[in-house]
Amino acid sequence: MQSGTIFDIREFTVHDGPGIRTTVFLKGCPLRCSWCQNPEGMSPAPEIMESRSGKRIVGKLYTSEQLSSILNRQASILSDNGGGVTFSGGEPLAQAAFLAEVMDSLGNLHVLLDTSGYAPESDFRRVVQRCDLVYFDLKLMDRKAHIRHTGVDNSPILRNLSVLASMDIPFVIRVPLIPGVTDTDENLAAIAKGVNRLSGLIRVDLLPYNRAAGGKYSALRKQFCPTYDERRPVHVDLDVFETAGVKVRVAGTVQK
Amino acid sequence: MHSLVAESLVLCSTTNFDTSRLDAQKLRVRNLEYKTVRLAASPELLTECEREGLSWPRRAARLVRRMCEAEKPYIHEDERIVFTRTTPSVPPIYSPEQWKERTDGCTLHELGPISNICANWGNVLSQGLLERRRVALETRQRLTGDSEAIEFLDCAIETIDAVLDLAARYANEALRMGKSEVAEILERVPALPPRTFHEALQSLRLMHAVVWMGGHYHVGLGRIDQYLWPYLKEDLENHLLDIAGAEELLAEFFISLNKDSDLYPGVQQGDNGQTVMLGGQTQDGRDAVNELTHMAIRVALYTNMIDPKVNLRITENTELSLLTLATELTRRGLGFPQYSNDAVVIPALVANGYDPADAWNYTVAACWEFIIPGKGMEVVNIGAVSMPLAADQAIRAGLSAHETFESILKRTTENIGEQVRDLVKSYSRLLLPPAPYYSVLMDGCLEAGRDLSFGLKYNNYGIHGAASSSAADALAAVRSLVFIEKSVEPEELLHAMAANFEGYEALQDRLLHEAPKTGNDPEADELLVTLFDALADACDAVQDNGRGGRVRPGTGSAMYYVWLTRGKPGDCDDAPIGATADGRKKGEFFSANLAPSPQAQVRGPISVLQAFSRLNYRRICNGGPITMELSDSVFADPEGLEKCAMLVHIFAKLGCQQLQLNTVSLSTLLDAREHPERHRNLIVRVWGWSGYFCELGPEYQEHIIARHLYGD
Repeated sequence: MQSGTIFDIREFTVHDGPGIRTTVFLKGCPLRCSWCQNPEGMSPAPEIMESRSGKRIVGKLYTSEQLSSILNRQASILSDNGGGVTFSGGEPLAQAAFLAEVMDSLGNLHVLLDTSGYAPESDFRRVVQRCDLVYFDLKLMDRKAHIRHTGVDNSPILRNLSVLASMDIPFVIRVPLIPGVTDTDENLAAIAKGVNRLSGLIRVDLLPYNRAAGGKYSALRKQFCPTYDERRPVHVDLDVFETAGVKVRVAGTVQK
Repeated sequence: MHSLVAESLVLCSTTNFDTSRLDAQKLRVRNLEYKTVRLAASPELLTECEREGLSWPRRAARLVRRMCEAEKPYIHEDERIVFTRTTPSVPPIYSPEQWKERTDGCTLHELGPISNICANWGNVLSQGLLERRRVALETRQRLTGDSEAIEFLDCAIETIDAVLDLAARYANEALRMGKSEVAEILERVPALPPRTFHEALQSLRLMHAVVWMGGHYHVGLGRIDQYLWPYLKEDLENHLLDIAGAEELLAEFFISLNKDSDLYPGVQQGDNGQTVMLGGQTQDGRDAVNELTHMAIRVALYTNMIDPKVNLRITENTELSLLTLATELTRRGLGFPQYSNDAVVIPALVANGYDPADAWNYTVAACWEFIIPGKGMEVVNIGAVSMPLAADQAIRAGLSAHETFESILKRTTENIGEQVRDLVKSYSRLLLPPAPYYSVLMDGCLEAGRDLSFGLKYNNYGIHGAASSSAADALAAVRSLVFIEKSVEPEELLHAMAANFEGYEALQDRLLHEAPKTGNDPEADELLVTLFDALADACDAVQDNGRGGRVRPGTGSAMYYVWLTRGKPGDCDDAPIGATADGRKKGEFFSANLAPSPQAQVRGPISVLQAFSRLNYRRICNGGPITMELSDSVFADPEGLEKCAMLVHIFAKLGCQQLQLNTVSLSTLLDAREHPERHRNLIVRVWGWSGYFCELGPEYQEHIIARHLYGD
């Protein structure tokens, strides 16, 4: 049986997909996005978070059976309310074998994968074919800029995006709007152009940068080093998507 | 015709009337302008009470009369529902020495006067006070030989006359000001039954306010959408009123409940028990939700004030649209509506001796206890069992004696039983003061010639099992680490607790993070069930509470979770508990109501609802809500609002009893910044992520606080 490292299981995550959902956060990520808001998701190993409220270990090893039994305990509630389980991270595909085994034990529960798309194609296919919906992050279309701000090459991501479009699994593209990095006219136009013909695309979600992103770093004794000017206002451009015939919305906007 | 109009409005959360007139009233309440019309002093009663040698019931009636007489009618020119309290306090009817002598050897409940019950407002409205007076006179004729009854009935009549006189003086003032509509209404009510919704609200306003003037407190309003509905329905059918007009009147009534509330005693400002109950079922088991149910929530959204405190009776069949509307109210951060599940509460009341027709008609007391309007002289909160103390004493004694876990559990059960017996014993000489005016508003007092302090149809006591999750967690930690894993020696745990975990941080860490926790782990949840079964057994063992009633176990905490930690102010007997086996250090808070312990980091609302759905609510009918704090970001979009309504539906479907949803408020965040140990489980969500507020760097905490300051 496979085991995996989880850094949180959080219920009633109303912004992580349709219906009433529980989100599992898998620990470990190959990317190092400078705006990452879940720094405890980077390292695959358990580590200590220490703050004024005390010390705790983030990251706990679960067998696939332990994890699926926690999730299955509430499966009927999630299903009855149009929801299911979302796997996020970190990068969940970094623990693909474990993830696939967990998904196989969830019966007909609706499964959503929230991924950076950065993984070997075989791992990507293996997990995605078990999903009902995929949230696929697209950050930067320019290869060099991608390396600079996330630490990795985007070619595996773009390759997996075309794999996804061929798999007949519905998906949402999620674009974090980082001021001066991902929210530029060129980048957004390139994303719109890159996704507008993809089969299975439901919509694009834009996620405007929030300045609380660096909040957890101090508890991990890590340095938050944004590669951009945090104070710069975020440029939200819906038109570029709408003109390209792509359904788009801004996520996380507070209704007044 | 009207129902078509109303149906189209049901899904809409905004009111339909022009709010400018009431906006001004709200502003006056917020600016405390009603305080400026108050008299310098309240009437002095002691001299005349002594001179005339008045009995206690006669003093109680005289108090109501003198208070009504002292009221100086005040009507603001924009008001259509009147009465503003001008007497600044309730004067004593005995000197301190006399009071001490009179109550010597007896137990008074809280402040003394009858409180925390609910009148049969529907009945009093529909009869009118003159009919209540006629009933009193009729009984007086029937019971001529019974001097006690005669005295009570004379007292009751004295208070009725006082209220009618006050209404007449208000009518005169209205006439003087040229407000003929108000004058005409007050010439009719509360003497006679209302003919319109407007008259019903005015009648209720006056009769309710006078209860407070008699020194009573936690004066609930019950099922307003049931007993006021016939008046509104008739007005709508006769086209005397449209929806907008009705909303405006109801809003004015709601605002009026906030005018004098600074005069009302409670544990904290705002804790005044002016509850209303909406929804639920009719006495023959049909859905009781009507247009007034929706309207009351819309109006509460408009008034956005702490009174009245809205409760909503639901089942798993309640329309999601109603729950979504109610969720809008949750979003305001006032901490209501509080939900109760008819499918659980009603069978539990019936199983505990309530007639089905009465059980259908339940409302809540000031906080959460289920009571029957007009029929209950119940003392629903005589105290609370300290669940953590019961468990802690058992754990210390059991571990020291190298006993089995079963013995520790048995000791816990015995400790709970002992605490229940002590509480009941402390109430064996309960002294309930006479309450002639409140008796007028109850079922059967005037008919039988007996003051309600002698008892009504239901005379039960309530005892809550406080801080239960903390106790279950302590037991679960001992069972898991000492008895199952055997990885901790009993002595080591005892030493660590004695040292307040200083020098035992590794062990404390395991207790906090590895041991099962209520709300996350079935191993702890099942111990919580055991604790409440023990409480129910102990309460059941009390055959008679001394007033012909039983003792109802409940799941609330009120302030006990603080008192059990810090000691009750002014009461040195409540010694705080030291460090406990769940890893909690001395002085840290316990869980409140039904909620995971503040030291536990739990997965979220679904597991919590599942955990608390396991309790045997049929035996635990005193009430006490599952309490949850939601981040305001849940309500960021209509989808989140609907999901929150679905969460309430899940609560009902799982068979939980009562639910209080709070939106994380600024004050919580500020307290969390100062006292992170109290708020380890406080989650805030920003952008795409959630975090524990206390783990964020200070500058980020500031950021989130600022968002809450300016976000609304």
